[in-house]
Amino acid sequence: MKARFARRSVLGMIEIEHLTKRYGKKTAVDDLTFAVKPGVVTGFLGPNGAGKSTTMRAIVGLDAPTSGLARVNGKHYSEFRSPLTEVGALLEAKSVHAGRSAYKHLLALARTHGIPKRRVTEVIDLVGLHEVAGKRVGGFSLGMGQRLGIAVALLGDPAVLILDEPVNGLDPDGVKWIRLLLKGLAAEGRTVFLSSHLMSELAQTAEHLIVIGQGRLLADTTVDAFVTGSGQTRVRVVSPDAAQLAERLAGPGITVSSPERGVLEVTGTEAAVVGQTAAAHGLVLHELRTDRGSLEDAFMQLTADAVEYRQTSEGANR
Amino acid sequence: MTAAAMTDRPTAYTPPANYRLSAAGLLRSEWTKLWSLRSTWIVLLCAVVFSGGLGAIIASSVPTDQAFGGAGSAVDFSMAGISLASVFVAVLGILTVTGEYSTGSIRSTMSAAPKRLSVLWAKAAVYGAVVAVLFGAMVFLTFFMTQAIFSGTALGGVSLSDDGVLRALLGYMAMIVYLALLALGIGAILRNSAGSIGFYIGVIMILPQLATLLPWNWVSDVTPYAPGNVPNAILLVDPAGSTLSVGESWLWMGIWLVVTYGLAGVLLKRRDV
Ligand SMILES: Nc1ncnc2c1ncn2[C@@H]1O[C@H](COP(=O)(O)OP(=O)(O)O)[C@@H](O)[C@H]1O
Ligand SMILES: [Mg+2]
Repeated sequence: MKARFARRSVLGMIEIEHLTKRYGKKTAVDDLTFAVKPGVVTGFLGPNGAGKSTTMRAIVGLDAPTSGLARVNGKHYSEFRSPLTEVGALLEAKSVHAGRSAYKHLLALARTHGIPKRRVTEVIDLVGLHEVAGKRVGGFSLGMGQRLGIAVALLGDPAVLILDEPVNGLDPDGVKWIRLLLKGLAAEGRTVFLSSHLMSELAQTAEHLIVIGQGRLLADTTVDAFVTGSGQTRVRVVSPDAAQLAERLAGPGITVSSPERGVLEVTGTEAAVVGQTAAAHGLVLHELRTDRGSLEDAFMQLTADAVEYRQTSEGANR
Repeated sequence: MTAAAMTDRPTAYTPPANYRLSAAGLLRSEWTKLWSLRSTWIVLLCAVVFSGGLGAIIASSVPTDQAFGGAGSAVDFSMAGISLASVFVAVLGILTVTGEYSTGSIRSTMSAAPKRLSVLWAKAAVYGAVVAVLFGAMVFLTFFMTQAIFSGTALGGVSLSDDGVLRALLGYMAMIVYLALLALGIGAILRNSAGSIGFYIGVIMILPQLATLLPWNWVSDVTPYAPGNVPNAILLVDPAGSTLSVGESWLWMGIWLVVTYGLAGVLLKRRDV
């Protein structure tokens, strides 16, 4: 009874512990530790080459970690008696034989687990591949390939979904569709873990964020905290008394800069405080506005070092 | 929706319990994969046409005043096409594995069966069974067809009940299954279509023949044990003159398959997909 209870507590959890993966001399993932919880969409963010795909391949047991481990529901992936019903994965690289039809590809996978044909048709309809299901996958567009990959991931109706750059190649309608789909799946209590190298893609879908660069963990936080916590929120003030106001605002933790005459940019405080300060000293304000830094800015700032390092090291190799 | 319903995390989703990964499921999956590729149909059709057609052509072109006759020659002539068709069967065996690596479908396959070895066994079992059934039929079909062509000549009038004939025909069937499995195993080791086909044709088929031209005696002592040569004894109606006995021939086929699949299995477990 106790063992069963223990298993329940990690149901739907993806746990990465000190995961390191080296390919020869190249360290793709470097001592990565984080957990992904059920019920929310968790974004996996990092510039190209950060190690996202490698981490995801390690989760589904395709790449063996050099050290550390990746577990789902408290188990290593290969311990599952019916893996397709536990974890559904869309991997970055194409994972379909070009000469096979979408339907037969799904059917072949379904048969390993005794999943009925009915379910195959169901997922084909769900991803909108009904009309091309009988065609060879070799002729599919990138977007159709992604939809087939999502159908594969959903085939066993799993509680945990791992999707590597699922938005790649999808048209705007497809992007909207997948956002709704993933949010819906998370709302059902499933674990949804999706990667992207673009913050903007995750901002509208994910609630939680794991950010990596150079194979290392940079942030494990909520999307909201990620933006505010990265010091990008600032108050913009337009005032004829800018110089006086700047003096009055000065204090510990507050920085005031003036990009142009009569304009102040204040960080470390709130618009309300700026307004009160101005009123208390009888200073005139023409404009008072809070600028939320864009998510992309926050991401760029966090990964800037990693990217710079990569560019110089690549340059040196050439 | 109430505020509580919106903020409360839903309880974890429970997946359906009635889907189970099984050995039977893997066999069915490999069967589906095999027949859902156009290349399977094309290559097997070629193999069938080649084995039957070449048998017929050779049988018709044997001069009627042929001095030698007998069951041994009759079987040799009629099975010439089958022997050559084994190349098609081997290449397809290789492609059932390497095709998965070159297209990336191996990642789907191995995510569904992460213990991996069962996939290798299922592939070998399904492909071996298909080849056994298809070429079992072709061996006997070709034999009766060539006997019809030979009728009235010194090569005609051979029946299955003649000494060693049935054993030799079953030997041809076993040989082609053996080569199919050997090739599939090589594909699983090398993972690359061109490399595996090159290795099969170069090292398994041609090298032992070339080696006999070398001047050293030990080479000719060893060549009968080469993986491509060990089935030779079981193809003979009268195996009296061959280096390996029929029993040794079976044994060595078993040894080479164990070696190949042992290595393939170890590598499959250890390497990243
Ligand atoms: N199979 C492999 N062999 C060698 N290097 C690899 C392999 N897979 C990934 N890498 C390297 O590991 C790093 C991380 O790659 P990847 O996980 O694909 O990053 P991401 O998905 O975040 O773009 C990259 O530098 C990549 O070149
Ligand atoms: Mg990637």
